[in-house]
Amino acid sequence: MGLNTYISVRDLSVSYGGQRALNNISIDIPDGKITAVIGPSGCGKTTFLKALNRLIELHDGTRVTGQVLIDGEDIYDPAVEVTHLRKKVGILMQRPQVLPMSIYDNVAFGPRIHGTRKKRLLDQLVERHLVEAGLWSEVQDRLHAPASQLSIGQQQRLCLARALAVEPEVILGDEPTSALDPISAQRIEEHLFELGKSHTVVLVTHSLEQARRLADHVLFLYLGDLVEQGPAQDVFDRPKYLRTRCYLSGRYVECPNVDQELNLRGKLTTFDQLESTGHSLRVLGTGQVLKIIVDHYSGDNGVAKALEAKGHRILDVKRLNQSEWEILIQKEGGDAYEI
Amino acid sequence: MIARIAKDRVANGLGRLLCLFILSLALLIAAGLYLRANPVFSAMSLMDLLGSVYWHPTQEKFGMASFIVGSMWVTGLAMVIAVPLGFLTALYLSEYAPARLQDASKPVIDVLAGISPVVYGVWGVAAIVPLVRDYLMPFLSENLPFFPFASDNYTGYSAMAGGLVLAVMVLPILIGVSWEVLSAVPFEIREVSLALGATKWETIKLTVLKKARPGLFAAVILAISRAFGETMAVLMVAGCNLHGLPRSIFDPAYPLPALIANTYGEMMSIPLYDAAVFLAALVLFAVTFVFNAIAWAILMRFEQE
Amino acid sequence: MDLRKFEERVVKSLMIASTCIVAGSLVFILATILFAGLPSLSIEMLTKTPEGGYYLGKEGGILNAIVGSLVLGVTATVIAAMVALPVALYLNVYLRKGSKFGLAVRFFLDALSGVPSIVYGAIGFTVMVWLGMQASLLAGILTVALLILPIMVRAMDEVLKMIPLELKESSFALGTTKLETATRVIARQALPLLLTAVMVSFGRGIGDAASVLFTAGFTDSMPRSLFGPVATLPLAIFFQLGTPFPEVQARGYASAVVLTAIVLFISLASRFLMRASTKNQSR
Repeated sequence: MGLNTYISVRDLSVSYGGQRALNNISIDIPDGKITAVIGPSGCGKTTFLKALNRLIELHDGTRVTGQVLIDGEDIYDPAVEVTHLRKKVGILMQRPQVLPMSIYDNVAFGPRIHGTRKKRLLDQLVERHLVEAGLWSEVQDRLHAPASQLSIGQQQRLCLARALAVEPEVILGDEPTSALDPISAQRIEEHLFELGKSHTVVLVTHSLEQARRLADHVLFLYLGDLVEQGPAQDVFDRPKYLRTRCYLSGRYVECPNVDQELNLRGKLTTFDQLESTGHSLRVLGTGQVLKIIVDHYSGDNGVAKALEAKGHRILDVKRLNQSEWEILIQKEGGDAYEI
Repeated sequence: MIARIAKDRVANGLGRLLCLFILSLALLIAAGLYLRANPVFSAMSLMDLLGSVYWHPTQEKFGMASFIVGSMWVTGLAMVIAVPLGFLTALYLSEYAPARLQDASKPVIDVLAGISPVVYGVWGVAAIVPLVRDYLMPFLSENLPFFPFASDNYTGYSAMAGGLVLAVMVLPILIGVSWEVLSAVPFEIREVSLALGATKWETIKLTVLKKARPGLFAAVILAISRAFGETMAVLMVAGCNLHGLPRSIFDPAYPLPALIANTYGEMMSIPLYDAAVFLAALVLFAVTFVFNAIAWAILMRFEQE
Repeated sequence: MDLRKFEERVVKSLMIASTCIVAGSLVFILATILFAGLPSLSIEMLTKTPEGGYYLGKEGGILNAIVGSLVLGVTATVIAAMVALPVALYLNVYLRKGSKFGLAVRFFLDALSGVPSIVYGAIGFTVMVWLGMQASLLAGILTVALLILPIMVRAMDEVLKMIPLELKESSFALGTTKLETATRVIARQALPLLLTAVMVSFGRGIGDAASVLFTAGFTDSMPRSLFGPVATLPLAIFFQLGTPFPEVQARGYASAVVLTAIVLFISLASRFLMRASTKNQSR
């Protein structure tokens, strides 16, 4: 099931009525793994998530640029059938919202919409997914009672069953346990963990502990920017950037004092950039910070890597806009830099 | 300091008094009407008054069934026309219309609600009665010569005319309340349904309408209540002559409020006539009061959720 | 999938059609009234009172009805407002949020505002007879005041309900009495919208015929005393349309234009007032 779905986000920017929520996010979300999206509140995590199933379109004045490729096709292409997309990509919200109908009808809602009508099939479906969500034993004798009678933890499990009933390949979770009591939260987590084995799961979470427990892969979003991403081990134990380190250790994200600024706009080759950088670094003392602004940056191969190789520390790489990047370098190692 | 508190106490007392006055108003009105209506029970029982069609005031026969049925015809027609129109419009405004259209519609609804009933009657006489007389009635009566279309009333002053005018008159309240009720359905329900892959209309059909159902029902009840009580406009276009019970939508109808309005002049001259008219007013009061109360109760509970 | 989309398209077209029909009826009504009434509308109609036999085709105008309606309407509205405002303030400032008493009052207000105007007319008539009054301006004023009272209170209540609790809290926190909060803070904040509520009720009252049918009488002269009959526009329209003379009927249409113009003016003015007031408030 999860083997040929692969989410590729390219230069995704989202703004709500003029306000930028996401800046040029590019990321590949791995298949069949649990990817956690972490970061402080209001930093675009939910926007990012809802961009993956085009739910952000529900609000007036939303502008989306860039591409989100799922299974090779850009979901924002006008030719794409959005109801079909949402069958493939399911979502579990923060506050469980049950539909105004019975427990059975809630779970059967999706399949019915997409064409399944036979009662026997629906019965089997409902039971299977309620079992999967761990709710079956508690509701099997009152399937036709109104869903609103369930406790909030049960409702969230019902929402999970309902989302699973359309057999999605990707499951998105928008802090699905934050509104629940600890026991229900644990149950949902366990189910998500199980699901992660066969589905692609993207989980927005406020809780670093939860991310540590569940994630195979981590994205750190800060104020609409993608700061860092990578395998969970790497991001948690050896975070590269200053902002990530600050967030993980619970401090407010610090802006380091910049001792020297260097404008490298116009210098198009890595060689040129390195040369100029080297000159500036030479006059700085150890531990001092140099900020360079470049308008040509080729990802990992570039100034940052070369400088790291020489022992200097990259504190931050920030994309300012479509064509400019800002790199903060902390000088380590005492000698003059040599190309 | 004392003066401030004293003033406050007085104001408190005054406010409470006025509220008690309002609470008692309904009772006072009902009591007043009942007292004036009471004498008529000496001539006929309540059952007969409401159920008999024999309306001969000079013979002390005050059977009001024809008027009640007349009211029902006109109200029923009005609802058949207004409910689909009203619901569809409210749905469009609430779920599909862009914000600017929504803003532009509010004054339209307000003006429709504010036009004087007499002006509606004038419009009815000038435009609707001719419409019924010259187009609707001949066309339908000849092509569908059976109940409820066949009729021999070619004047155009009919239940149909009354129903058409009333339909437009109740549209504002129907649309207004329905729109509010639909907007009160939380956004998340729509979001969740769409997230499962439903189309917008499927979402509305299967979830929003379900949640809004009690409120929409209340809207209809309020509209019925309004239609039932409307006097002037219907009086001017419905024909108001007693020809037995209406057997067609094109027959004239004589609704209950029109009875009250029309007999004002004569009612003091014939014994018990005025009591009968007051009974009619009491019936109107009771029906509309109860309907409005039911609608209110539904909307209250709806708001609580 | 095609069936689902098709269904949606059909329903959406029906919805748009309905909305157009509804908007179109307003246009239809206004157009009919103007078309039928404007030709007969003359300065003479607006400035003269009816000479004898006006309703039989003779000279004159409806000035007495216009003035009568305005006098009756304004006075009734003022009286109703004098009761409605205290009640609305009491409900929102003195009573606690979940008060059962408040719930009961609001229930009765809602139910009363649905009572047909003819019933109010019948009650007005009863009280009038009981007090030994003739059909008069005063009886009409009191009946219309009673008619619009529940509507006005409810409208004011809706306005006051929108005021955030925090405003009341801040005022009380400064040690004010309820009366002071009600009059100096709440009423001041809501004044424009409260006025809107008053204006809308006025529009309702001035256009109603059934309530004045029994109680205000009718006359050819200008309103002279509180205890004499008074002519009202709705009744003037009604009577003019009821005659068999086409010229008189035509003047009836013209009178309808006058009444509609008054009501439209009130409606637009109140909308304007509402917009102007919310512009100044911080959100």
